[in-house]
Amino acid sequence: MSAQLQFRDVTLGYDRHPAVHHLSGEVATGALLAVVGPNGAGKSTLFRGVVGILKPLAGSILTGGVAARNIAYLPQSADIDRSFPISVFDFVGTGLWRQTGFFGGVGKEARASVAQALAAVGLSGFENRGIGTLSGGQMQRMLFARVLLQDARLIVLDEPFNAIDTKTSADLMALVERWHAEKRTVLAALHDMDLVRAHFPETLLLARGKVAWGATAEVLTSENLAEARRMCEAFDDSAAACVVDTDASKAA
Amino acid sequence: MIYDALIAPFIEFEFMRRALAAVVALSLGAAPIGVFLMLRRMSLVGDAMAHAILPGAAVGFLLSGLNLFAMTAGGLIAGFAVALLAGLVARTTDLKEDASLATFYLASLALGVTIVSVKGTNIDLLHVLFGNILAMDDQTLLVVAFNATLTLIVLAVIYRPLVIESVDPLFLRTVSRAGALAHLTFLALVVVNLVNGFQALGTLLAVGLMILPAGTARFWSRELTGMISIAVASAIISGYAGLVLSFQTRIPSGPAIILVSAGLYVVSILFGNVRGVVRQLFPAPHLEA
Amino acid sequence: MQAWRGLLVALAVSLGVSPAQAQTRLNVVASFSILGDFVKNVGGDRVAVTTLVGPDGDVHVYTPTPADVRKIADAKLLVINGFGLEGWLPRLLQAAGNRASIVTVTSGITPLKAGSDADPHAWQSVANAGKYVANIRDALIAADPPDADFFRQNAQAYLAKLDALDGEVRQALSRIPEGHRRVISTHDAFGYFAVRYGIQFIAPVGVSTEAEPSARDIAKIIAQVKAERIPAVFLERIGDPRLMQRISAETGARIGGTLYSDALTGEKGDAPTYIDMVRHNITTLTSALAN
Repeated sequence: MSAQLQFRDVTLGYDRHPAVHHLSGEVATGALLAVVGPNGAGKSTLFRGVVGILKPLAGSILTGGVAARNIAYLPQSADIDRSFPISVFDFVGTGLWRQTGFFGGVGKEARASVAQALAAVGLSGFENRGIGTLSGGQMQRMLFARVLLQDARLIVLDEPFNAIDTKTSADLMALVERWHAEKRTVLAALHDMDLVRAHFPETLLLARGKVAWGATAEVLTSENLAEARRMCEAFDDSAAACVVDTDASKAA
Repeated sequence: MIYDALIAPFIEFEFMRRALAAVVALSLGAAPIGVFLMLRRMSLVGDAMAHAILPGAAVGFLLSGLNLFAMTAGGLIAGFAVALLAGLVARTTDLKEDASLATFYLASLALGVTIVSVKGTNIDLLHVLFGNILAMDDQTLLVVAFNATLTLIVLAVIYRPLVIESVDPLFLRTVSRAGALAHLTFLALVVVNLVNGFQALGTLLAVGLMILPAGTARFWSRELTGMISIAVASAIISGYAGLVLSFQTRIPSGPAIILVSAGLYVVSILFGNVRGVVRQLFPAPHLEA
Repeated sequence: MQAWRGLLVALAVSLGVSPAQAQTRLNVVASFSILGDFVKNVGGDRVAVTTLVGPDGDVHVYTPTPADVRKIADAKLLVINGFGLEGWLPRLLQAAGNRASIVTVTSGITPLKAGSDADPHAWQSVANAGKYVANIRDALIAADPPDADFFRQNAQAYLAKLDALDGEVRQALSRIPEGHRRVISTHDAFGYFAVRYGIQFIAPVGVSTEAEPSARDIAKIIAQVKAERIPAVFLERIGDPRLMQRISAETGARIGGTLYSDALTGEKGDAPTYIDMVRHNITTLTSALAN
């Protein structure tokens, strides 16, 4: 299977401090990969790099020919303007932008898809609600519905089950597994280890750098988890320039 | 009596009819733009733009004297440049829209004043550039009407990406470049409307009819198309009532229209359906489900 | 020996002559172009005149620059109009640490009223212009006594010209039939002209260029023009010509041309000096109203 994503010694961060440090590896097409790690491990940062919002400080991320429009991203804390006067239906409907284009109307078929997507995430009846009236979990599910409609080849979910109860989590996880069955590549950042062990065949344990990457059972061992916990969360203000980089450039 | 006050002035005087036509055209173009400006927290853009266009007008003046066409063209170019630069900086750096625009318009204004001073005269260029709704000649009416048509068409075209970009900018950024294009096109529309509005009707009217009706609409509708419709209606009513007011009293026309619009705004704050003060103090009983 | 004496004489003569030639001209600053013109005519080459608000400038809304502060600081005499024309002046004087003597050329003139303020455009009456010139002459003499006779001569000659001009204006206007002596103009700057020469100026806006008309004002003017068959509207250098064009279009009154009131034009313009300005105005008026 060809690689959907390639991390080539990539370092991502803010203000020269690395949040993801020298990560290398591949994500196969159609993989269902969980990305886990302590707080500040760099999961969100990594995802931002994958979808192209954040440029790497060093190294590169290759998306194996997947165009930007084929990537769907569910961000953790959405920069969404809740006070904007738009209904849940219209908001979710923007996920269909590739079919409707920017100027086309939303036809009957499209309306049906939107309704279906809303039903799949348990938000039937919310069509006409303004997005500002939604709770955190409902917001999350609405974004999920949009991802459903985007019909993307690569789906990146940043803590998608955060504010959601167990029953709904199970429903949404079923959707994720359906994507996996449809041979889409799915990356999900998660905190719930039980969920990961139960549903995700592959896991990357990230603690700024790669701690372990491979089959879930082999990755989520107590030694690995302990090592990950030892990672220091804060940036070191007195850090020097990364030695590995300068050596590499000297070698080149 | 009512006929005398409300209809007669327009039958009797051509300048009143033209003023009414101009204010309707202006409302159709400016009010929808104002709604977007308000939702994107860019309500002060109008005032900033009024100053930003000065170097363009100054260069036009330098090249062709007090030629309104040259100065307007120059003003448009300067406005576009400032809007574009401010938009680009806001998108690519940490600086947000408001700071970005403020810095550029101030630089632009200083540049304009410098250019004018170097030439040596002190004619208040901006004063010359800004017109009066009571002086609508054929050419200016045409410009205002064309501007309104152009605005409505372009707005219809960029509507969806503009909405998406306004509510969830990250989404569009990750999937397409349409967001940036829509944003810049919108800014260009703002500049065109403002410069044409200034030239035809003066700063107060051009900016006022953008922002006040939008603020008013917020209190009567919870969704975008409703807001836009109410904003346009509010602007037209203000224009009409303002002209009547200016006709019956000694209040100048521009301020009269804006005063009426502000009055509508205050009434909306108090009695509006959506979070109006009175509604908040005396809420209707809650529903069953 | 002859050569030496010749050289000495030449030296003595040159020494005697040079102080007179090296005598510096009197530094005078005039607030705007019309006053500058007057000062030049009275002072001749004995004065170095600089103007703050130059040709085509708007003296009502002028913003002074640091260069102006220097001009005033270097001046011995400052010539201003008064009557509230130069609202920006007091602060400028403060900044310049005013040491020059100031002459307000309107002293001795009774102002006309424009609303609650005085109408500053006193120079529009050529008779008042004469008083301006007299005041300037006296101020120049006080600042530079050795040249008193020179100034008096110049002033006398110029006053004679002004007198002749006054007569010209009266004569020209007498050729306009009684009923036609009414004019619409953008800006209420011709009050003194109107009073002195018996021609009525009706304007839709206030005295300065800042005020904006109401619809009622415009309607009244249009009604009046139509009712009284006023023949012409005139544009002004300062202000929006479109308003006048609208009034002209709706009343059938002709656009008579451009009148100059608050500033002279540049060298190549219609009104580079005060006398040219008045002549231009009167020609424009008569040709529009005579038919």
